[in-house]
Amino acid sequence: METANSEFASVFAWMRRISLLCLCCALSSPVGAVGTAVGTIIENTAVVSYDLAGTPLTLQSNTTTLAVAERVDVTVTLQSAQTPVAPGETGSALLFTVTNTGNGTETFQLSIDSLIAGDDFDPTPAVPGIYFDTDGSGDFNGGDQSYAPGTNDPDLLADESISIFIVNDIPAGVANGQTGRSELIATSATGAGVPGTVYAGLGDGGLNAVIGSTGGEALDTGEYLVSDVLVSVVKSQLVSDPFGGTEPVPGATLTYTIVVNVINAGTASASILRDVIPTFSTYVPNSITLNGGAISDLADTDDGEFDTSGAPTVVVRLGDLTLASGPQEVVFQAVID
Amino acid sequence: MKNFVCVIFVMFATLAVAQVQGHLDVRTTVQKEEVVVNDAGEAEKRLVPAEVVVPGESVFYTITFTNVSAEPADNVVITNPIAEDLMYVEGSAFGPGMDILFSVDGGETFAAANELTVVEDGEVRNAEAADFTHVRWVMQNDLEVGAQGTARFAAVLE
Repeated sequence: METANSEFASVFAWMRRISLLCLCCALSSPVGAVGTAVGTIIENTAVVSYDLAGTPLTLQSNTTTLAVAERVDVTVTLQSAQTPVAPGETGSALLFTVTNTGNGTETFQLSIDSLIAGDDFDPTPAVPGIYFDTDGSGDFNGGDQSYAPGTNDPDLLADESISIFIVNDIPAGVANGQTGRSELIATSATGAGVPGTVYAGLGDGGLNAVIGSTGGEALDTGEYLVSDVLVSVVKSQLVSDPFGGTEPVPGATLTYTIVVNVINAGTASASILRDVIPTFSTYVPNSITLNGGAISDLADTDDGEFDTSGAPTVVVRLGDLTLASGPQEVVFQAVID
Repeated sequence: MKNFVCVIFVMFATLAVAQVQGHLDVRTTVQKEEVVVNDAGEAEKRLVPAEVVVPGESVFYTITFTNVSAEPADNVVITNPIAEDLMYVEGSAFGPGMDILFSVDGGETFAAANELTVVEDGEVRNAEAADFTHVRWVMQNDLEVGAQGTARFAAVLE
């Protein structure tokens, strides 16, 4: 009896030691890794060799069998950067990826929540508010199919991903610089809950489904930024005639100066200035400057060109402009025909 | 579904039969942890038979061997493969009165854990738990008539 007890005690001491070791393993295992496939059978047989009266002998143990059940896990990852919107804008989309990080095939229910704490305004989910990126473009467009809960819930194989848009309308009364958040939630149709929760017989192949570390539900949050940026463009001209005067006669040179300014918060992204040369005048080659620096007429790596593919046009790329960028001054010349 | 249950039942019925094959009685069991709440209301871990597992779960293998012959057995060596989908839990192999060795080459050669190396991308490095393909226990003394030995290890389902 004493032997049995001490044996019993040693089993539990071993268990405690191994539990700690296993915890370390669990923490260090890669997030999102898909494990052994559902239904895999893992057999184990030990082999014992020994000598009896000088004769070498070998024996096999019984074979133990483990069946791999379904682990339910999911991740949701925002793909869009902070998305600029205007007050009253409708149908602004945020892109997410939903990934089945479990080891079986699973159906996921999707939902949108735009009442998120920590932002300045609540976007209004469009109806419907969730779409599949049907055409795989990454841009929300008319070819994308809407999601209807319970009707076209996505089925994902182990490790499979799907791209999903959530779509919101922006209230009219929001101010420049304010942010509004919205999130996509994906929930396993088998169930969600505390990791380790067992849904008996609901996994692939009628085996158990066990909720993994993600709880069978995941979400990620995207953000809209009201960027009602205001840009002023002021154009002026100087005339210099061939006789030293300022009369707009044939042969007189026109010097145009265009000043671009951002006048409130926000960013005017990838701003481009295009100015068509007026009729009855001819552009003076290589006369474009930006803030005093020359820009060649060729379409090359500098910030502009003289584009003659259509109506002759001066093109200057000003980039991302903010209040802090200060005035951008473009100058070019033309001669009156 | 009914057929499936029947297959499982037959499988475990087979396992329950003792493997007495001559001189040594060798049995293997596989268990996993279950958290139960005891009478004092505290969460307590215990080992229960493992039948179904999910990735990330740990399983605990125990091999017991008893000398049921009339003579002592010497040079007793137990070798257990680590299934492809399992990863050995570092430091988990246990066996009173036994030296513990590992293989990283599918059971061809065995050495102590800290003596094993593997070649990865042309570089030799020390073997890690994930490299082990087999565990081996080598008894230091004879297994006397009627005596029982125990060998254990734990693994995580990948």
